Amino acid sequence: MSEALQKIALLGNPNAGKSSLFNQLTGLRQKVGNFPGVTVERKSGFIKLDDKREVEIIDLPGTYSLYPTSLDERIAVNALIDVNNKDYPDAIIYILDVTHLERHLLLLTQIVDLGFPVLVALNMNDIAAQQNIQCDEKKLSEALGIEFIKINGRTGEGIDIIKSKLPQLLSDNKTGVRTSSFYELAVDEKNIAAKVGALLPVKNEYHALLLAHHSKKINFLKEDKKQQLLGIVQQNNFNPINNQLDEIMQRYNKFTPIVNTVLSRSFNNARTLTDKIDFVITHKFFGPLIFFALMLFIFQAIFAWSVIPMDWIDQQFANLATYLQTVLPNTILSRLLTEGLIPGISGVMVFVPQITILFLLITLLEEVGYMARAVYMFDNIMQKFGLNGRSIVALISGGACAIPAIMSTRTISNWKERLITIMVTPLISCSARIPVFAVLIGFIIPSFKIGPFNSQGLVFMVLYLIGITAALIASYVFKKILKSEEFSFLMLELPEYRKPHWKNVFYTLYEKVSSFMFGAGKIILMVSLVLWFLASFGPKKAMQEAVNVATIESSLLHADKQTTELLIASKKLEASYAGYAGRLIEPVIKPLGFDWKIGIALITSFAAREVFVGTISTLYSIGKNADNMTIKQKLQQEKNAEGKSVFTMAVALSLVLFYLFAMQCMSTLATVYRETKSWKWPMIQFAYMTGTAYIVSFVVYQIFK
Amino acid sequence: MSSPKNITELQIGENAVIGEFSNCHVACKLMAMGLLPGSSISLMRKAPFGGAYYIKAKNHYVALRSNEALSVLLSPVL
Repeated sequence: MSEALQKIALLGNPNAGKSSLFNQLTGLRQKVGNFPGVTVERKSGFIKLDDKREVEIIDLPGTYSLYPTSLDERIAVNALIDVNNKDYPDAIIYILDVTHLERHLLLLTQIVDLGFPVLVALNMNDIAAQQNIQCDEKKLSEALGIEFIKINGRTGEGIDIIKSKLPQLLSDNKTGVRTSSFYELAVDEKNIAAKVGALLPVKNEYHALLLAHHSKKINFLKEDKKQQLLGIVQQNNFNPINNQLDEIMQRYNKFTPIVNTVLSRSFNNARTLTDKIDFVITHKFFGPLIFFALMLFIFQAIFAWSVIPMDWIDQQFANLATYLQTVLPNTILSRLLTEGLIPGISGVMVFVPQITILFLLITLLEEVGYMARAVYMFDNIMQKFGLNGRSIVALISGGACAIPAIMSTRTISNWKERLITIMVTPLISCSARIPVFAVLIGFIIPSFKIGPFNSQGLVFMVLYLIGITAALIASYVFKKILKSEEFSFLMLELPEYRKPHWKNVFYTLYEKVSSFMFGAGKIILMVSLVLWFLASFGPKKAMQEAVNVATIESSLLHADKQTTELLIASKKLEASYAGYAGRLIEPVIKPLGFDWKIGIALITSFAAREVFVGTISTLYSIGKNADNMTIKQKLQQEKNAEGKSVFTMAVALSLVLFYLFAMQCMSTLATVYRETKSWKWPMIQFAYMTGTAYIVSFVVYQIFK
Repeated sequence: MSSPKNITELQIGENAVIGEFSNCHVACKLMAMGLLPGSSISLMRKAPFGGAYYIKAKNHYVALRSNEALSVLLSPVL
């Protein structure tokens, strides 16, 4: 007898400590995917209950009420009102911050009225104690008819009790289900609910009323049912917004007196820690100054701190390749290993330090509550560019990777502001550009100290600033072109400052880094292998001819054995499939100062920008015994047919600017397609970004060559 | 009688009590966030580049845009 897997949803207001509880419950047995049809991250995990039953825990996006104002809130609400939803839960664990008890009871009473068995995890008791707030949870359980359990999301206290209560919650005897509803529907609402109930499967009156309320934005009903639902709403002159206001007021009127009896609190007007910190952090002058100092710090951290582990990783893989070359016989398989596979894996692993440092810093800023302050401080400026204060989170995250950044725009409820944020975020220099910049920057400026800063670090900073400026200009242009009459708002909670919860930071980092290694990493590795093949093989006749030509040429030159080998290798590369592809696009990129080898790198790095470095190093190391040399040295040695250096300052500058502006990332385009549900936007994005890149590189190369 | 004061007319540090909301959408969202008619609030800061207001109510903190702050009408001081 197989039973369907039962589902328990984790729900709560934003900042209630939901992710801490989720991590405590599921540990590393988590699965990250997307909610169907949208790229809102869907986290779920599996736990074994005391009765050996396995259940799925679904982490629903945080929301203040069942009346959503953003896409991710709507996803949470849809999972609760659509009985056919894949995530429609059998029971709910509601996480509640006791220091904000009153406000968090709103959503709780709503989901209880929807007829779900509910268990409440009462969180933040330690902070409540510091604030002299005492909560009598037994009294609260009695008054509301729902079980409240004190937990500590940080230490894991109370988690076992939660787990032990779950079998009972999922059993058929309806523990945790209240018989009476908190909200009493008015006569006309009962009327509508009855009609909706006759049309659609509903659990109770309140469920039916919510379906009527959401009728306009409902996306999970068949068209005929939706039209009928809209018909009911229209015939009965149902006014959703008035109904919503009445409902919220009635709920507060019901539970506020209860809160007053169970909570003892002594409010003093003394300044809290948050007040004191915000006195500085959100200061008119020091606030933005601190923000920019933090950003500068992040850039320096990514650039300076990550160099040591990156060099180390690079060196280890180079050593391994060299060692295997001396030990293994010279066959195609061993060359695949030492020239294709190992450099490919190295190209992925070398990225890990930077991604870890960046996500660590961004996660920390998010965890302690700083990000919300940045949103508030810059909302007005962002508005002028057609963005939303929340766009700043996407733009900053864009410094790590445009993909999670674009996904984070789901918190922007206004479609136009969200679209503009999506369109311009890839202009912010992501971590994938760093290796490209890092390799090329040595050709632009030598490394020396300017005060406490490194000259190359400062050039990096300038490149980032150019990216940011370009993003703002592009936003402004989009703002002027796109039209919208949608409701735009800020209304943002600024959470109290909290010590970072290291476990949450760890889980976030683990998830981001592993998704990079196994997601983006897979593409990078595959492209490296394809590239190795393309650069090692070619049409048989042409390859043979290349060898012959090289042999004749070298004998005419009376070249020694080593030079002959180099010449053969380079002629063979020119004759390979990769050589053909590069030559094909050479006429187009010649005005930018790029030769056909750079052309190959431009093509392959469309998979991911950082592939550029792998391609270049594969291209220039093939046939040479140069695996353990640094890429930069190789490039400096590279001469064209006339014996001039390929990588001059003008070429490096042109290349850097090309990578700064061009839409060289198919994963980002795929994400934009998923987010906007149309190929129109990724195509526009590709055209405007790569077009800009071409023009800028052309102008710069022609000036500096 | 002058019309009731709204949040944008508060001085930094000034305390007030929410009377009512003149915009239903703003009202619904703010009430769900715990700001109700009768809640006492104080203005903490105005945003560095203008356009936004940072208010405190009991122990929670909310940032509002100017047009949202305009629609939060305050009770007349007795």
